[in-house]
Amino acid sequence: MSNVVLSTSVDTSIAENAENVILSARNISKSFPGPVIALDRVSLDLYTGEILALLGENGSGKSTFVKILYGIYTPDHGEILVRIGRVLEKVVISSPADAMSKGILMVSQVPQLISKLTIAENIALTLTSLRLRGVKSFTSLTKILKIICEESERIGIKIDPNEKVYNLTYTQKQLVEILKAMIVDAKILLLDEALTYLPLLERKRLYQALYKLRDQGKSIVIITHKIPEAMEISSRIAVLRAGKLVGVVNTQETTIDQVRVMMFGEERAKQISYIKMQTISSRGEPRIVVKDLHVEDDYGREIVKGVDLTVHAGEVVGIAGIAGNGQRELLEAIVGLRKMRSGEIYVGNVNVKKKGVKGVREIGVGFIPDRLLEHGISPEESILENIAASTVRSGVNIPWNVIEEISRELINLYQILTPSTRTPVKYLSGGNILKTIVAREIENAKKALVACNPTRTLDEVSAIYVRRKIKEKTVNENLAVLIASEDLDEILMVSDVIYVMNSGRLYGPLAPETPREEVEKLMVM
Amino acid sequence: MLKRKIVPKYYTWISTVASLTLGILVYLIITLLAGINPLEVLVNIARSFISPSIVKDFFVLIAMGCALLISFRAALWNIGGEGQFYIAMIPGVLLTLFIFNPRYNPASAPLVILLVALTGAIMGALWALIAALFRAYLKIDEVPVTLILNYIAYYIVNYLVFGPFKGRYVYGYLRTDEIPEIYRLNVRIYLPMRGDPLQVALQGLTVQLAYYIALLILAVVVYAFTWWFFKYCRLGLYTKIHGSNPSYLQAMGVSVNHTILLAMTISGALIGLTGSMYLLSELGRIPYEIERQTAGYGYLAILVSWLSLLDLKMIPFSAYIVSALRNAGIALQVAGLGGVEQSLLLIGAILLTYSITRFLVEYEVRVEW
Amino acid sequence: MVIETTIILRLTAAFTTMYLVALGHSVFEKSGILNLAIDGVFFLSTGVTTAMVIPLTWLLTAQGLPLALSATLAALIAGLTTAIIGVFMAWTLTKLPISHGAVGLSLMFLGYGLGIIAGYEVRLRVGSIRPYAYPDSLSVYLAILAITVLIGLLVHFFLTKTALGTTIRACGENPHVALALGADVLKTRLIAGTLGFFIMGVGASLFVLLWQKYWDIKTYLLGYGWLAFTIALAAGRHPLVLIPLALMFGGLVEFSITLQARLGLQADLAKMLPFIAALVLMIIYGSTKLKRIFEPPGSLGKVFYKEERTI
Repeated sequence: MSNVVLSTSVDTSIAENAENVILSARNISKSFPGPVIALDRVSLDLYTGEILALLGENGSGKSTFVKILYGIYTPDHGEILVRIGRVLEKVVISSPADAMSKGILMVSQVPQLISKLTIAENIALTLTSLRLRGVKSFTSLTKILKIICEESERIGIKIDPNEKVYNLTYTQKQLVEILKAMIVDAKILLLDEALTYLPLLERKRLYQALYKLRDQGKSIVIITHKIPEAMEISSRIAVLRAGKLVGVVNTQETTIDQVRVMMFGEERAKQISYIKMQTISSRGEPRIVVKDLHVEDDYGREIVKGVDLTVHAGEVVGIAGIAGNGQRELLEAIVGLRKMRSGEIYVGNVNVKKKGVKGVREIGVGFIPDRLLEHGISPEESILENIAASTVRSGVNIPWNVIEEISRELINLYQILTPSTRTPVKYLSGGNILKTIVAREIENAKKALVACNPTRTLDEVSAIYVRRKIKEKTVNENLAVLIASEDLDEILMVSDVIYVMNSGRLYGPLAPETPREEVEKLMVM
Repeated sequence: MLKRKIVPKYYTWISTVASLTLGILVYLIITLLAGINPLEVLVNIARSFISPSIVKDFFVLIAMGCALLISFRAALWNIGGEGQFYIAMIPGVLLTLFIFNPRYNPASAPLVILLVALTGAIMGALWALIAALFRAYLKIDEVPVTLILNYIAYYIVNYLVFGPFKGRYVYGYLRTDEIPEIYRLNVRIYLPMRGDPLQVALQGLTVQLAYYIALLILAVVVYAFTWWFFKYCRLGLYTKIHGSNPSYLQAMGVSVNHTILLAMTISGALIGLTGSMYLLSELGRIPYEIERQTAGYGYLAILVSWLSLLDLKMIPFSAYIVSALRNAGIALQVAGLGGVEQSLLLIGAILLTYSITRFLVEYEVRVEW
Repeated sequence: MVIETTIILRLTAAFTTMYLVALGHSVFEKSGILNLAIDGVFFLSTGVTTAMVIPLTWLLTAQGLPLALSATLAALIAGLTTAIIGVFMAWTLTKLPISHGAVGLSLMFLGYGLGIIAGYEVRLRVGSIRPYAYPDSLSVYLAILAITVLIGLLVHFFLTKTALGTTIRACGENPHVALALGADVLKTRLIAGTLGFFIMGVGASLFVLLWQKYWDIKTYLLGYGWLAFTIALAAGRHPLVLIPLALMFGGLVEFSITLQARLGLQADLAKMLPFIAALVLMIIYGSTKLKRIFEPPGSLGKVFYKEERTI
């Protein structure tokens, strides 16, 4: 592991600043049913008056970690110590209210506000539970209104506290969150990708506010996957990977490349001998055509900002990028599962805006969704039933014998581990559920296949099998394939054309031989 | 104490039995506090489980339990069983007492009976469709709508009985005339009722089964239909998936709204069918202020469906239990141990313990100190 | 002169009963818990009221105290009884991930049963409740009317203008976010349960003490609890909008006989009207902008559970 050198410098700095530690997390471990190990003995100290950046890929555990600090999850093992007065005391944080009473506040990517209420009413909740500024259960809202107005004046954020939250834009909602944090006078502020999607101007302004807080002695943990942002604003950077703490570095003493290595792991690029899969065929006609597409996400903000894309028959287009940059929404819009704000999408000769997902499915398009349990499968039903639902499109009765054959074939081909074809899918392990969906969709794909992270959580062997199968089908059946994946290796392995999606925009096309570093740069800029 | 979502397997049987015993226990405690001897109560309850008089309820509840199963599996909470049950009787009365009244306009009995069944199913379907439309297109929860429709159905039936359907050959009570004998579906057999208790009981059972033969056939037909629906019918699969994950239906390009409409309509149709058959097999006429005299099958069927944990195989079992309990309530009244409140308390207690212990089936409880 | 007074008295009685029950129910549901127990709670309260008012009246009139006092005490006791149910519902449905509907319906049945047990004995011994209920005096009725409207205004102020009331609404809209904002969802819902069910209980007791001045076992078949449920639904659970709607629905019920005569409507058609009106109102809301104001709380009836919950 190439992190040993870095660790030493951290150790010394900890020893020097022992009195300045405001929060100490020791040996935090957390697992979820699955079994999924989210955190594995993570220890981290936070000092007063600093901005610490917490970086990591998806699934690295960074979100889980701060949620534990905020009382949303409880750790399986480990302890948390918070400075109370002059001493570091062990604490148990069992709920957000608990965390707030200890001076910890979290602002997440998704504004935690109740839409139907006004801004003032939302903040009132926090003030009441913390009994701040003399607010009690029966305090009238007019009084709270006054408090809020005063604070926002002081900080310089312009909002109308009587505005209903559902009328606010995403930016405004995040501003309200920051305002709340300041009103509450938190000692420790956790920002879980809270600023990542704000426009540059607002972000800069908020940075100023954060600097002010830091200078006042407050501590801020920023979770982000944008290394430049972390480099700009933080004094220390901690990197998590696969639930383990890789290392903590002083921002001044490191480079973007070093951090990137910590996040993704140098060995992976070298150890996994990927076979570059060649496609030897001329491109067919355009089969998926996307023009100037704008899509909103579940919270109303624009997450696909004008994308143009064409996928031809017989080619595999790969979109690389870190999760949350719009890939999922883009692919969902392409198959008709998500409404677009504006733009045009044609799959085959189906106008997706008009015909929707039904039209797309009817011409034989497979879709492997990002949210498997939401769009990909019906957990209470068996493999047999799930395959029947996607394959049989007409007739009153279901020809179960035919479906049984198809199911057995797929189970064999993809090595799906299941007690029987009739076992409810929810009892299968995550990997096998994915295999079921992947197998089903690849089989269903006649004209095109759209996939989001098709091999995430699959073991190497299965993953390679899936990729091979996709490539085979592309060549033999003239399929148009569009894959978005957080696994850069996968994209490099299978794509004939590479794009990178970042902040809602598509960058590329890049040739399949493009060096890895260049692609990574586009991903984290 | 921490709770996680994990899926176990054979807990379902255990939880049903556990909630039953717990429920009866709670009920007994209440009766004890109310000053009634719990032992006598228990004896009466036990006796009801082997009483031949539960036959009728048993078949009705199987049919209606299956009907509700169809909508409940789709996560559509059809509380409107009562309304669909009685509204379906309207065409039945119309056909047998007015259009094809043997005094004025005789017609072939099988034909009329068939028409009664058909129109009953259609009426039930339409009544359920109203709530389905509210749910599919206005996104309004079907629970309050079906409940309101129950009351509207009661009053429509009452209005008709008070007015155009009023009995001409009735003295004293306000109700419709009796449905003509040729349209009644009962087979009466006479047995001597002699011998040891077991023989008498068996004879009693046989008489009951014959008398309610139509309901028996109904139960079998509806059960078979439901079985086919969920096992072979494509719509049945979509219905199940709607209850499990409607987003998946959407992702497959299946119309979620159509699924909602069809599931509710079929559910209502089966209830309507049961209602019309009940009219011809047992009720024989419709009394005024139906809401005062209803057996409450619409609500009992909800209990049957829930108790079966939405598993078709368990429906006969839970139908048996609920009909036994209902008759236990009646038996207690007859025995002078109490009134209608006994049935109410019993059902309430069991439903309550069932609802509460249900979570132990789907969730794992970890305890940490 | 007499006829007009009678009309006022009866309308007042119908209104205060329906309004308070719908109001209490609304407060409770605003915290996010579906209340299908309403009809059972209504009946239970009537039974308890009947059971309490007779002995209380004997006790107090013997001391020379006015009739109205014993009636009021009976109402308050009924309210306390139903409040216990409210607390039970709020607690189990917030702590455990179980079905609101199922628990509600089971409590409805239990309410019917317990109400019968409560009132049966007393009812046997006493024919009419009239001698024990509130006296037929205009001043008493108007006083109760005034108090009812006052309660309504206070509740409205409470829900919209105080921090605690806002917390109740927040829990109904999205308890998870409310939790993240720092609210104690359990405590809030317990308060909503106590308050809401207390008001419901008092309202339902007025059915016996002010309106019908009569009670028997079959009262549980009336479905007036569901009527209040419908009123609350149609009014969007808004304390102020409830006033005209309770008046309208209460009037429809009370004067169904008069309506029959005037409009030539048969009794059952008249009884149907409130329910049909509710459906029509629901259609109107559902299809227009009004939806936002009148729609149920976002998380009404939803099981309060995420990937992990600590109890």
